[in-house]
Amino acid sequence: MSAGPRFGRVATGVAQKQLEALAQTTPGVVSAVLLSSDGFEVASLQVGSAGAARLAAMGSSLSAIGSAIAREAGIVECTRMIIESDSGVVVVMGIPDARPPLSLAVIAREDCVLGQLLWAARNCCVTIARAFRE
Amino acid sequence: MVEGEFKIVFTGPMGAGKTTAIAAISDEPPVSTDVVNNDRVAFDKELTTAGLDYGHIALADGAAVRLYGTPGQLRFRFMWDILGNNAAGIILLLDASQADALVQLDAFVDAFGAGKRSPIVVGVGRAAAAGALPLDAFAQRLESRGLTLPVFGVDVRRRDDVLLLVDTLLCLLELGDRRTA
Repeated sequence: MSAGPRFGRVATGVAQKQLEALAQTTPGVVSAVLLSSDGFEVASLQVGSAGAARLAAMGSSLSAIGSAIAREAGIVECTRMIIESDSGVVVVMGIPDARPPLSLAVIAREDCVLGQLLWAARNCCVTIARAFRE
Repeated sequence: MVEGEFKIVFTGPMGAGKTTAIAAISDEPPVSTDVVNNDRVAFDKELTTAGLDYGHIALADGAAVRLYGTPGQLRFRFMWDILGNNAAGIILLLDASQADALVQLDAFVDAFGAGKRSPIVVGVGRAAAAGALPLDAFAQRLESRGLTLPVFGVDVRRRDDVLLLVDTLLCLLELGDRRTA
């Protein structure tokens, strides 16, 4: 097994700060992982390294399957997925035009306000996107 | 002959040709979940499967086969379990030119129940490449573990080669049905 690819240090640093800001300003956020489309952790918050690696792989599979379903249904581009349960929410969002392609997975408690979570996660994605385009 | 609809899972390490094999035999263009591959050290190719591949073939005898392909990397192990659930049979693809092909053989055979849950057929590609392991090495490795699984040399770009693997699996299923009948 290889250790996996490395992603730009500056962009990863920006992403890490953005994840921290997201958790601090958005009530209910438990953890978050920024992941590559092929399932590697790029940055993570409050999940531990094994948890982050697993979440990154699962998030990328979800993202890829979401995109395939969107294509099949003719709605073309999957931008986000929301998994809800009685005890929490997982949101997986694409980072627009990032090179390499990236997604953000955020885990939140059930008492989060979904609209607020989506809005904050979206803003986080936009800022991260800028860092990965430069 | 076997009747009805079967779920067959194509598995094996990254770059073994799972997506290509399904595309070679599927009646319709398969659903794929290819994404940009960032790990060029593990395998130097542009795209890799992150979710699953899905295709479908109708056979001449009325049987239909649903074809699922897994991602190859160990970090996607959870998808192996999801896709392997309720599979009638497994087609394990390996690349004989990879130095760790026999280790991969063991790992995937074990991950998919060592042929005890559902039959496994092994397809070995690139056996003619320079420095590649001979086909016998794969059969011997299985034998040394007390396993007898069919092993074929295949070029997964060739429809007939992939169909040979599927046909063999269907024959094994039919034999299994007769034994339990």
